[in-house]
Amino acid sequence: MKFIRIEGDDFVFQIGPREKLLLFQVLRLYPLIPSSYFRLSKTADATEVQADQHLLEEALAEQKKENRKQLEEMLREPGRFAAGQNGLRFSLRAPQMEWLLQVLNDIRVGSWLILGSPDQAGKPIVLNEQTAPYFWSMEMSGYFQSALLEALNEQP
Amino acid sequence: MPDIAPPLVLPEAGQEEKTDPTDTLEPGYLVICWDDPINLMDYVTRVFQTVFGWPRQKAEHHMLQVHNQGKSVLVRDSMEKAEHYVHQLQKFSLHATMERD
Repeated sequence: MKFIRIEGDDFVFQIGPREKLLLFQVLRLYPLIPSSYFRLSKTADATEVQADQHLLEEALAEQKKENRKQLEEMLREPGRFAAGQNGLRFSLRAPQMEWLLQVLNDIRVGSWLILGSPDQAGKPIVLNEQTAPYFWSMEMSGYFQSALLEALNEQP
Repeated sequence: MPDIAPPLVLPEAGQEEKTDPTDTLEPGYLVICWDDPINLMDYVTRVFQTVFGWPRQKAEHHMLQVHNQGKSVLVRDSMEKAEHYVHQLQKFSLHATMERD
């Protein structure tokens, strides 16, 4: 996926048919991060923030439900991917870019969690038959995020 | 026929729930973003700009603090606002928490 230009309110990308298929496959994994993963506080007593923690989890779950709905609508929308000279022309408005980044990052972080949260300090990657597909989704979501971020950085 | 105003019902003394304004309104909470090695640096910068409305330079400064020092204190605010910011940051899958100052 390659950023081409900004046309009015639209960010226009060129995307190959196989890349589009990959993007759809990655997006179908959303959401991957369990709502209970995020904590409101590291130091507060769990019972002290229990109610707020519960509200936070509910709000995140609701947000993801809404994102999932929007995602399905976007994937179905005719004209989102128009035939161009070199592959397909994929256009997005600025708020859709931000929202898609959010969705892709959920998939990237969720995949990383499934892979055992590996890090450079030595925590190894958990790679087996079940987790291997998530190595792919972690890399692919990062690839699509980079294309979106590159385009946003071009914004005047 | 003239309208008759309904009688006023005043709450009994001591009925109201007590709240501690110092707890919710005073800026006694730190919003901290912790390093997750998986997040792209540009993405973290972008999220800080979106959530706090910061210019790119300030957002980058905090992103680099997260990256190099493992965490960055983003703002110091009231409990309500800190909760709001934490929720916003977590919506973008960033590892953020609020801690008492």
